[in-house]
Amino acid sequence: MNASVRISVSSLRAHKRRFAGTFLAVLLGVAFLAGTLVMGDTLRASFDTMFGDATSGTDAVVRSADTITTPGESQGVRQPVGTDLVAAVEKTPGVAAAAPDIQGAGQLVGANGEPVGGQGPPTLAGNWIDDPELNAYRLAEGRAPARSGEVVVNRGAAEKGDLHVGDTTTLRTPDPVEVTIVGLATFGGEDGMAQVTFTGMTRPDAEKYLTAKPGQAASILVRAGPGVGQRELVDALTPELPAGVEAITGQEVAAENTEMISGQFLTLFTTFLLVFSGVALLVATFSIHNTFAIVVAQRTRENALLRALGASRRQVTASTLVEASAVAVVASTAGLAGGIGIAAGLQALFPAIGFPFPEGDLVISALSMVLPLAVGVVVCLGSALLPAVRAGRTAPLAALRETSVDRSGASRTRAVVGTGVAALAVAVTLTGVVVSPSLWLAGGGAVLALAAFVVLGPVAATTAVRVLGAPLDRLRGVTGALAARNALRSPRRTAATASALMIGVAVVSLFTVFGASLKETMDRTVSRSFAGDVVVSTPSFGAGGSGLSPALAGAIGERAEVDTAVGLGRGVAEVDGKGRALTVTDPVALERTFDLGGIRGSTRDLGANGIAITQQEADKQDLSAGDTTRLTFTDGATRTFTVRAVYGRSELAGEYVITREAWAPHRTQDSDTVVAVSFKDGVTASEGKAAVERVAKAYGNPEVQTRDEYARSSAGAIDMMLTLVYALLALAVLIAVLGIANTLTLAVHERTRELGLLRAVGQTRSQLRAMVRWESVLVAAFGTAGGLALGGFLGWVLVRASDGASNSAFAFAVPPVQFAVIAGVGLVAGAFAGLRPARRAARLDVLHAIASE
Amino acid sequence: MNAPPAPTATKGTRTAARVAGAVKVYGAGGTAVRALDGIDVTFPAGRFTAIMGPSGSGKSTLMHCAAGLDTLTSGTAFIGDTELGTLDDRRLTLLRRDRIGFVFQAFNLVPTLTVAENITLPMDLAGRGRERGRGRDRDREGRSRRDGRGGGRHDDRHDGRGGGSSGEWIDALVDVVGLRDRLHHRPAELSGGQQQRVAVARAFAGRPDVVFADEPTGNLDSRSGEEVLNLLGRAVRQMDRTVVMVTHDPVAAAHADEVVFLADGRLVDRMESPTADRVLDRLKAFDGKSDGKSDGKGASA
Repeated sequence: MNASVRISVSSLRAHKRRFAGTFLAVLLGVAFLAGTLVMGDTLRASFDTMFGDATSGTDAVVRSADTITTPGESQGVRQPVGTDLVAAVEKTPGVAAAAPDIQGAGQLVGANGEPVGGQGPPTLAGNWIDDPELNAYRLAEGRAPARSGEVVVNRGAAEKGDLHVGDTTTLRTPDPVEVTIVGLATFGGEDGMAQVTFTGMTRPDAEKYLTAKPGQAASILVRAGPGVGQRELVDALTPELPAGVEAITGQEVAAENTEMISGQFLTLFTTFLLVFSGVALLVATFSIHNTFAIVVAQRTRENALLRALGASRRQVTASTLVEASAVAVVASTAGLAGGIGIAAGLQALFPAIGFPFPEGDLVISALSMVLPLAVGVVVCLGSALLPAVRAGRTAPLAALRETSVDRSGASRTRAVVGTGVAALAVAVTLTGVVVSPSLWLAGGGAVLALAAFVVLGPVAATTAVRVLGAPLDRLRGVTGALAARNALRSPRRTAATASALMIGVAVVSLFTVFGASLKETMDRTVSRSFAGDVVVSTPSFGAGGSGLSPALAGAIGERAEVDTAVGLGRGVAEVDGKGRALTVTDPVALERTFDLGGIRGSTRDLGANGIAITQQEADKQDLSAGDTTRLTFTDGATRTFTVRAVYGRSELAGEYVITREAWAPHRTQDSDTVVAVSFKDGVTASEGKAAVERVAKAYGNPEVQTRDEYARSSAGAIDMMLTLVYALLALAVLIAVLGIANTLTLAVHERTRELGLLRAVGQTRSQLRAMVRWESVLVAAFGTAGGLALGGFLGWVLVRASDGASNSAFAFAVPPVQFAVIAGVGLVAGAFAGLRPARRAARLDVLHAIASE
Repeated sequence: MNAPPAPTATKGTRTAARVAGAVKVYGAGGTAVRALDGIDVTFPAGRFTAIMGPSGSGKSTLMHCAAGLDTLTSGTAFIGDTELGTLDDRRLTLLRRDRIGFVFQAFNLVPTLTVAENITLPMDLAGRGRERGRGRDRDREGRSRRDGRGGGRHDDRHDGRGGGSSGEWIDALVDVVGLRDRLHHRPAELSGGQQQRVAVARAFAGRPDVVFADEPTGNLDSRSGEEVLNLLGRAVRQMDRTVVMVTHDPVAAAHADEVVFLADGRLVDRMESPTADRVLDRLKAFDGKSDGKSDGKGASA
């Protein structure tokens, strides 16, 4: 034990530089992980506090008990409660005050005419509750709205829109309403509820613009009298409420709100980051394993000597593991500190870039301390385990042999196993993609494919480096030839080094392919399904914004240039017991601007009790034209609808279509999400667009896009996501590059005598540097090529699997330009990785190198 | 082939390498060691000179400094008329590549290169001719000869220095060292003696002004050593080359035309037409004389 420790300590001290790469790889991976965890916890706690503060005065909430949740949305739509209940609630013993809470969507237009917010977080409007205890917002400036047209807005929204007390602007509800700002408000001590914008109106205004009919509210907020607890209050309220209406405590509501933000946004956010720290750590594993493998190989003689002198296998293995633990613990601890630093930095950075995350102290939970440390140590020790065991197996006689020749990685067993895994991967993937579409099978196949690539790496390395090195050989003469031969020296080492980069590049290419395929899909969808000329739409990314005024489509339709203008609204209902999104529109006009595919039946006479559905949904529910189905709306009403038409293509039109007439009795706030417009013959695109824009101006100036612009703006969100993904993956690539640099440094050290010989017989320093650099580039080229192939394949799997799992057709696209860029970046990264080792090699003293034993 | 030395007067007048007033000090202050203590020695062209001396006498240091692998503390070193002290690292490297050949005691070959590639390495580094293409031809040539098809393919694209194409020269060299059937092997597949013969071929391949050999037989059994020494001797006598060899073995030194003796960093004697016995006698006498002096410094150089 002590002997092993002593040996490892002295060896660590002697070879500090060798472990620099390992150290950095562990540090970066752990820092990322710790930073993510700490930031997630901190944000969650901050939101918790904020909601707690904001709703602390609300002791109970009375609301409808049922929600309708459509697939893909975590938050259901709740039917409103009647405001007449307020009187009954106020009479209940223990109640000090009660107020209706009317909520709807309302988008402010800023001083510059552009809408405020709406790029994701909701834009809310509601009634300004006069009881300050019940109102989640506090007046920070000005006064409460007293007359029709007066509003209070949250301070964050006001700042963003450059609006001040006294300003007059437009609120899109979605019908444009002229409002005067009389006050600014804060939420839980912050300028707003994260990025959510809020406009508080008088109660009559709110009822007029935000609800389908007066006398409805989203819920009733209740404050308890002195000495009455929240539970008590709820117990007292419950018997007074009609069926279908419930009372819950204020704490429960706060928890629900927090859950809504943490559950949706934060969980997604942290999961996303955790996935990338996982990728970084996976890449780090390869780098670390490689370093230890090389160090052990270089130390063969030393270990053999130890064995010959009587050290047991266990002692030799232990000394390597102790070394790994030391590196792991120190690097992980440093990484943890770094991670906390990252979280603190981001916390400071977010507000600076206009992302007002709530402030608060960093929350460093036990988990976010222990987990990164544990992961760092496990990754490091796990990577060192095999090399350590190999060290223990060193034969005492190895000390007497000349330099140990690398047992080639291209063994038959490896080739056979690798090919087997590859075949299995392809079989599983194809089954999951083609035969019986299943994301799990496809995912399993993807993991197997990765494993096959890693196992086959050393087998492929020889051929790959030869092929990739061929042009080098020709262009760079003996320097290139030497570089290629050096890269070929130990196929296993080359493959392991390249694997790290391969994984990084593979993930990058996977996302690139997926992004390009999504864009292509979007493009094709628009060009296939949309038969009109321009589209008026709210931002396509996120659920924000208040939508478009239902009157807009009619107004545009009246223009001389316009043939048809059709607005598409969204509704929800339970169809056959399951929540579904409905498209609320004029089906006849819809058919003229969208290609619905083949239609059986007719969209002409849907009326108030007819519905059109896609072929796919019809098949699922065994419906055909003429059959009836039952729809339950959010107001609790259940109606029987007759299927009048079954259409083939759902892409833009949605899966269920009903008329405005059918939706009107059950609607909440009325809005359209898209207005599609087709021009009359002979109207040019620019004329038509200008005409539509003139109309739109009066409705809060929503964006008018041509078909191409519409498709492109849909793709814009994908580009944004890709940019973020690339930024996160840069870390993994950086770790991989560090790995290459480290391997090369070790190789240079190993080849000291050979380099000395080359220098003695006339290799110039620059030739030597070029040789090392080109070797680095070759290894990187191998990794990049493998990564592109693997990423392309995985991208194909993902796209095909998504295609199988979703209703709409997915296109597969490989973006050649992006792939060329990735390849270029890979090569440049390789050259970069080779810089330091090359410089070190060139600094070698010839005589010293020749003389060194 | 123990051919008698046949130095001609004209040969002796040309100088291949020379050091004058050579001083090399390792370290500084109290621990400083004078490895070379003011040596003047000339290595005439077309001659086989051996440098002998007890360990620590400075013989390896002398060779390293004369060959541009190490720099003198003071004094001058010349290859032909070029003074080494005036050259920067790059020029020195080019000089070694173009005008000097090396045979070291061990680890003479680049393990990733074939025998043929090792032989032409200095020229390939110089980028003379289409080196890679030639390397391939050579490989192919070797293979085809092994296949018994013979191969009259002479490569004369290689523009060597001095008369005759360098392709022919290397071809002849390969035959002299007897490695025709090993040209496409890797060094690891050769015996120690074969590896040294490749090193000798490499050293002469570029027809350098001078070949420095540092204990070239130190790691070999006596038979392989004899082969290597014969090769060096033939290169000088039949091919008009110049060799400077550091050795501690009197039998090896006997292959030289002349032996220079070093002790304590000074040139102490020269011997023309040496034989093993005479060299041994000289060394013995010399050992007795210098015992007391060399003890202190023996361990350090």
